Amino acid sequence: MKTLFSGFKIFDGEKFVNEDSLLVENGKVAKIGSGLKCEGAEVIDGGGKILTPGFIDLHAHFRDPGYEWNEDLTSGAKAGAAGGFTTLVAMPNTKPAICDPALIEYVLSHGKAAGASRILPAGCVSKDRKGVEMAELRKMAEAGAVFFTDDGSPVATSDLLRLALLYAGKDLPRIMEHPEETSLCKNGQVHEGRVSAMSGLKGMPAASEEIDVARGIALARETEGRIHFTHVSCAGALGLIRQAKKEGLSVTCDTTFHHLTLNENAVISSGYNSRFKVNPPLRSIDDQAALWEGLQDGTVDAIVTDHAPWHMDDKDEPFQEAPFGIASLECAVAVLLDYRTRKYPDIPLELLFAKMTSSPASLLPEEWQQLGRLKEGAVADITIIDEDRTRIVDCSQWNSKARCCPWEGTALTGWPVATYIDGRKIWQDEEEA
Amino acid sequence: MPSEIGQIAWRHKSVIDIEGWTEEELYFLLDQARHMENVMDRPIKKVPVLRGKMCVNLFFENSTRTRVSFELAEKMLSADVVNWSVSGSSTAKGETMRDTAWTLEAMGADIVVMRHGAVGAPQYLASKLKRAIVLNAGDGTHAHPTQALLDMYTAWKHLGRLKGKKIALVGDVLHSRVARSDVIGFKTLGCDVVLSGPPTMMPREVNELGCGYERDARKAVEEADMVYLLRIQRERQQDGLFPSVDEYHRWWGADEELLKLAKPGALVMHPGPINRGVEIASEVADGPQSVILEQVRSGVAIRMALLYLCGGGAR
Repeated sequence: MKTLFSGFKIFDGEKFVNEDSLLVENGKVAKIGSGLKCEGAEVIDGGGKILTPGFIDLHAHFRDPGYEWNEDLTSGAKAGAAGGFTTLVAMPNTKPAICDPALIEYVLSHGKAAGASRILPAGCVSKDRKGVEMAELRKMAEAGAVFFTDDGSPVATSDLLRLALLYAGKDLPRIMEHPEETSLCKNGQVHEGRVSAMSGLKGMPAASEEIDVARGIALARETEGRIHFTHVSCAGALGLIRQAKKEGLSVTCDTTFHHLTLNENAVISSGYNSRFKVNPPLRSIDDQAALWEGLQDGTVDAIVTDHAPWHMDDKDEPFQEAPFGIASLECAVAVLLDYRTRKYPDIPLELLFAKMTSSPASLLPEEWQQLGRLKEGAVADITIIDEDRTRIVDCSQWNSKARCCPWEGTALTGWPVATYIDGRKIWQDEEEA
Repeated sequence: MPSEIGQIAWRHKSVIDIEGWTEEELYFLLDQARHMENVMDRPIKKVPVLRGKMCVNLFFENSTRTRVSFELAEKMLSADVVNWSVSGSSTAKGETMRDTAWTLEAMGADIVVMRHGAVGAPQYLASKLKRAIVLNAGDGTHAHPTQALLDMYTAWKHLGRLKGKKIALVGDVLHSRVARSDVIGFKTLGCDVVLSGPPTMMPREVNELGCGYERDARKAVEEADMVYLLRIQRERQQDGLFPSVDEYHRWWGADEELLKLAKPGALVMHPGPINRGVEIASEVADGPQSVILEQVRSGVAIRMALLYLCGGGAR
């Protein structure tokens, strides 16, 4: 089976290339060239749209097993596909928590059955995510885990984090740390800053994140292990990571679409609407600007959704009573592209695309690293982007079970319009069909 | 009392906060309260401006004072009054707040007065109601607009136009919805507002509130026209925010010595209920400069004025 993508602006994972056509054969990239023709191939005419490696989201929550009324692996995989993401890393803070090989298999097989985006599981660092004993990291790696994390919480003790870093070394998947010093965030609701001053809501200081990042860096140095800090949200933590990278430590990080595009003022101006309640909290304007700097100077390795879906019955509550989490898989890419056009038009699209393709791919186990690049022989995971498409975010039309997000009702320009894995179309925008 | 205040077109319906209100609007309301206070002195304390309107006092937190104050105001305006008290959060009761909102509307409520422990709850309720208006009677640590209005009314009656007056607010600003609303209100009227209290009971970004902060209560109170003491909840000490009640009282409690630093005859206010010997010494609370009981009376008048203007009486 052959598919010829012709007339596209092709981004290969690092840069836009001069060629405008890409031939897919048997699920792999067969050829990239200009004005390619191929007898018997299905031809897809790009009309100047962008073709990129399928986007990779290193951090999403699917609530399955245990909380499937909020999301399950099927709705999550479909939501990812409709958001332009062909690979999604599922966080293990489910019920039960994903902490043994059988549960890794469960996530893989249920994810696959959806026939949409690839779902790759992360396993817990600790058994039952309790932060006491190390989980079976090697067995989970063998079964297909691509990260280890107690996300939702930091690894409970420095001792456990140290052991996990030592044990995982450089041959097992990376340890992904949720950076938070929890004693500083007890009953916390919002960023400690303008929003906590104005509302009196209990603040979560940026220092909480900085302290945990400092702990992780010190342990990565001592163990020569690899640590990845996820959803980094503040300038101070980024500064520490920048320093650690300069020192040559195996330290990487990601930030989220919402921390790049929103700040604490959104909470205030919304009248404390729970749509803006998330952990880590939306930070200050200065923190937000620092994240964009971190993207540009290479401190930030990846942009993730931290898609945290909740059923409306739970999320549509007064701010203080609602759970933390923003659902964004189906609009995150558009949110970022639209924001960049308005606020950072000088930042090249290549930079943002790289942080959603080749750069996150390089943090996955070796067998998946080719996902982020389009070259001959690579797996044909593809996302098509229409830079000029304007649409209004309408959660009621989502594949995700979540029905509320910060951008509901907002018109955004620049949307994914089709996604493919292994050269097979898994989603297409209705207007495209 | 000045009475140069003319008519304005009243634009507020639901009142969640007084942020964004103009000086003119605030004085207009205070002036209305003056008329309402006259009603309180009549032999028959009743005017028919809310006759046939249904007020629901929806209280998710215990508050006898504010609830009774609203209830008296509603009754003097001839409204029909229902008190609906819910202990704990809406979710603890097993009903979501939107269901509560729709239930109220189905029963025909016109005005919902709401007190809730969660920041943003009245705004949330208002967003779910199609017809009824919501008056915020205090939401968590966020806002308590009618308290601020009654404080402004009391101060105005004694000090006249408040522009340029110095107000010292002393106590637990961090957890105080009263402080947040008072800061907004008095600043809109052109006052110089200075906060004081232990640094552990101040927002870290206190400058975001748009007023000064002095650790030392003596500096804050210096030359003040009004000293406002905030209630200290004793459990804050268990939270470790200050080491002991005695230490608090010695540095931030109002006694005669502290009061001497303010302008002669400066007003002493407190939102009540007071903790004698903690944030305020008895000789100050019961002294000639205290207008604490007058604030209670002002509360009824200002709530009548607000109910009248927002609740349909003015239209």
